[in-house]
Amino acid sequence: MGAREESQALHLRARAFVRAFEEGRASPEPYDALASDLVRFQARYVAGYKNLVAARGLDPASISRAAQAPAVPTDAFKVARVSAFPEEETPITFRTSGTTVGRRGQHPFRDASTYDAAAIAFARSTLLRGWPERVHVLVVGPSAADLPDSSLCHMNDAFVGVFGLPGDGDVFFLRDGVLDLAALDETVARILVTGDAPVLLLATALACVHLLDVVGDAGFRLPTGSRVMQTGGFKGTSREVEPSVLRRDLARALCIPEDDIIGEYGMTELSSQFYEARGGGTYLEPPWARIVPVDPVTLEPVEEGAAGIARIEDLMNVDSAFAVLAADRVRRVPGGFELLGRMPGAPPRGCSLTVDEILGR
Amino acid sequence: MIRRSPEQRRDDVQRILDAARSVVERRAGLVSAFVESTGLHREGVEHALLHCLETSATERELDRLVATAGDAPHVHVILSANVFVAALRAIALARAAARRVTVRPSSRDPVFAEHLVRAIADPAIEIVPDALPRMDEGEIHVYGRDETIARVRASAPPGVVVRGHGAGMGVACISSGDIARAADNLADDVVPFDQRGCLSPRVAFVVGELIRARDFAEKMHASLAARQRTIPRGELSDVERAEARRYADTLSFSGVLHEGEGHKVGVASHLVVPPSGRHVHVVPVATMDALVASLALLERSIVAIGASDTTQLPSGLPPRARVSGLGVMQRPPLDGPVDQRSS
Repeated sequence: MGAREESQALHLRARAFVRAFEEGRASPEPYDALASDLVRFQARYVAGYKNLVAARGLDPASISRAAQAPAVPTDAFKVARVSAFPEEETPITFRTSGTTVGRRGQHPFRDASTYDAAAIAFARSTLLRGWPERVHVLVVGPSAADLPDSSLCHMNDAFVGVFGLPGDGDVFFLRDGVLDLAALDETVARILVTGDAPVLLLATALACVHLLDVVGDAGFRLPTGSRVMQTGGFKGTSREVEPSVLRRDLARALCIPEDDIIGEYGMTELSSQFYEARGGGTYLEPPWARIVPVDPVTLEPVEEGAAGIARIEDLMNVDSAFAVLAADRVRRVPGGFELLGRMPGAPPRGCSLTVDEILGR
Repeated sequence: MIRRSPEQRRDDVQRILDAARSVVERRAGLVSAFVESTGLHREGVEHALLHCLETSATERELDRLVATAGDAPHVHVILSANVFVAALRAIALARAAARRVTVRPSSRDPVFAEHLVRAIADPAIEIVPDALPRMDEGEIHVYGRDETIARVRASAPPGVVVRGHGAGMGVACISSGDIARAADNLADDVVPFDQRGCLSPRVAFVVGELIRARDFAEKMHASLAARQRTIPRGELSDVERAEARRYADTLSFSGVLHEGEGHKVGVASHLVVPPSGRHVHVVPVATMDALVASLALLERSIVAIGASDTTQLPSGLPPRARVSGLGVMQRPPLDGPVDQRSS
């Protein structure tokens, strides 16, 4: 079997995890089994990963547990191609935000079907929990047509297509770098009049700050039961707002409970996302991805409940890196994990930065 | 107020250099305290005192230092912890400028500054406990992280000028000549202060093909291993160790990594800036034009450029970087601030 066929077979196995989750069934095979096969595949076809595995003195054939897989630092995505297939077979490349911190990380995809399946399935069970199949999905951000290399824009587009109501028209409210509050206001007013479904508002944290700036003290009421998916950070930008303050101000301005503002944790280097549980603070993992806090020097898992650097395992990252070492500090808590901020010395990260750049702040 | 003449200012600075010499002479009784305060190995402390501390300067250098120091009634100096002997130049600059100097040593590494000020025994210079003492006029010279400088600027009283000396680094340019010798000389620049200074080179640009860069990296690895035997690296902080690990994994993935007991040398066709702690990233540049373009990417961070042959350096380099040969990057003349980016 060649690389392409092997990849396709692994994608099918990865998507079987998603399908089982959607159907409420147990995962089709042990997590470690697919993880080990991914590591072997990536050690064979991702040149850098082969080197990293060798540098650890590991024989890929001997790997039988996910925890044995060396994690690829997110920095590597900035300086090397992290991919099991060649450039000429790459129709989609997601890139990290640029700003002033240097080169942009790149995550190539041969196709986005596995990414989309995982994103949609987990969002449906978290962001849309208890809701009808389709709701009003509004985006305070650009569309994928405007920013085709943004994984967040790609995901938002997918959510609009799958979860959104077809009659809503254009639901992207950042156009040519300008937040179109009038259009957003008009759309929300129309929804309030019909009163038939809640709104899912997708926004980066920075876009939320800009929204609050524009709205001022006036308030901007969303229909009852609406939710906001908020993602990204601020560090390195002109604005930095304490997350709890932003959450409070946003809830007040949009007239929704703070619990209905749901944090999303994702990154360009991954194919899966994590969402805050109701009540805030604890992020949930889908059954195909895990967050393991590790010691930043030994890279060994820290004690339960201790803070560590996020080692992120993602079975959907079939053609790139099953295990990724982020520069975010995390801690395991019952039911999930908590985000504790960036590792000291790490460059800022976040989709928010793209919006900041666009808004020219 | 009667202004001091340049000669008086020079004499005041000279008195500081004399005091520094007396500290060096008494070092046998002080090294342990410096080791504890800095985290450097004993040999690292000795090396810094004997080879990096400016205990003498030419008349011309002192004239230049005095000329560039400016004039202020009071200068308050906030020191950082990275380079313990940097207290001398900072205090000398402040004294050249002002009749009154207050010094706030780094809370992590206060020992050398305290001993130096005691040895100077100049009533115009005093150690103070406050990060920001009460002052209505004058200058604050702050050395440290960019965030620290920003905080000081934000809280400085109106009418007080803040001069910040923030984070930076050195780079090396290896053009023609004996690369083994260049690597050995560069090791002399990397080792002091375990590479925590703003003059410390972290990236070596090797003019030529990747294979030449790889050859240089191997020699750099050998030279740093040899230095580890004579001047062992001290303790790294948790952050430094974590960043070093990340650099190592990134380079294992994307290039070639040589790891020694007290250093890492990475070589790759792309630029990565390694953390401090005796780590050098070697990157090839095809031509001198490519070198200039690469340095431009780092321009805001470059404080010093060391070259295997300074006569071959092209024009268009970062204009405020100190340029020297290799092996002497950590010994710039005492003619003004080490970091000239803000001057």
